[in-house]
Amino acid sequence: MTKLASIFLGCMVVVACTNTEKNSDQTEKKPDTAIVHTPPANPYSTIDLSPMDMSYFPVNYSQRKMTHDIATPPVMRVIYSRPHRQGRTIFGNLLKYGERWRLGANEASEIEFFQNVTIQDKKVNAGSYVIYCIPYKDKWTIILNNDLYTWGLKIDSTKDIMQFDIPIKKTSTDFEYFTMVFQPASNGAELVMAWDDTEGRLPINF
Amino acid sequence: MKQITLLSLLIVSVLMGRSQSNNLPPVDKSPMDMCYYPGNYPVLKIQDKVTEPLVARVIYSRPQKNGRLIFGELVEYGKVWRLGANEATEIEFFRGVKIGDKKVEKGRYTLYAIPTEENWTMILNKDNDTWGAFKYDEQKDVLRITVPVQKLNEGVEAMAMTFEKSESGCNLIIAWDNIKASLPISLK
Repeated sequence: MTKLASIFLGCMVVVACTNTEKNSDQTEKKPDTAIVHTPPANPYSTIDLSPMDMSYFPVNYSQRKMTHDIATPPVMRVIYSRPHRQGRTIFGNLLKYGERWRLGANEASEIEFFQNVTIQDKKVNAGSYVIYCIPYKDKWTIILNNDLYTWGLKIDSTKDIMQFDIPIKKTSTDFEYFTMVFQPASNGAELVMAWDDTEGRLPINF
Repeated sequence: MKQITLLSLLIVSVLMGRSQSNNLPPVDKSPMDMCYYPGNYPVLKIQDKVTEPLVARVIYSRPQKNGRLIFGELVEYGKVWRLGANEATEIEFFRGVKIGDKKVEKGRYTLYAIPTEENWTMILNKDNDTWGAFKYDEQKDVLRITVPVQKLNEGVEAMAMTFEKSESGCNLIIAWDNIKASLPISLK
């Protein structure tokens, strides 16, 4: 009986250790952030679980305008909501390959060009567009669409106006929150879109 | 053992929850939000329940009270306040409207307020894409209108804006802490 018990205990320890190793390994690579504090109720409007954010090009345009560091008008901005990974596998799992992804959460993501720009040799007129993505294992298709002021779950693809294939790459660090930001590049800027361990960059020339 | 592992995972998660360990922007402490008139327009749109066209949209960031005294203290009376956090608060009209007795053309504006104990002076300004009220330029005002404030019984932790239907159009409701103000927008 004692023998049986010690064997049982031994097994437990082995199982526990394996678990610990496996979990600490996961912790290192992908912190599990499944604990989301639900924002407290608000009588007028509750804070979104996936908060909205906005990025400009030139980068930090509004701060630079405030400090008189910039006098020219902005080139573009993107307004999007930021889902968090919460321990989930994103690409090929939460987001299915070949299916439309709203590049955000809640409202459809919106990109506004304050001047005409060129993307992959195609002219894009100044104005606001819905921007979304179809992710594949080895590339993303980025689509500009005219169906503005809509919710991201039901994008009317009959109003697509342009699409661009872009390569993707694995990132060196993981992104807990989906992130869109512009970075300067030759002949313009790139719209960087990053989440989990993957990023895509849409080159925009002007 | 497994419980301890889970517990440590929990702790790690809480600690790492909001950070983003790279040089791209972390999530804002005062998250941005958007409200529409008609309310929830994008959701109504995908449900085919839109009964009137889009009139207005506000983009603002939502500071939290965090135990602080807000009006008269954090937000000083008599000074221009950005009605939010981070970027200046933006209101876009998708058609011409009337505020007070002034016509406002379709377009994008920046919204500020000068709060006092009894009322707020709401300011519509033409200098967009700026940060806070730090570079507020009175020369670019489109209009000013003074509205009374209302005391709330229930405190509002995160500053909130929402539109409500009114007889002549809609009101933009702004609420934070124990104060609420309302900007009347006429569609007639």
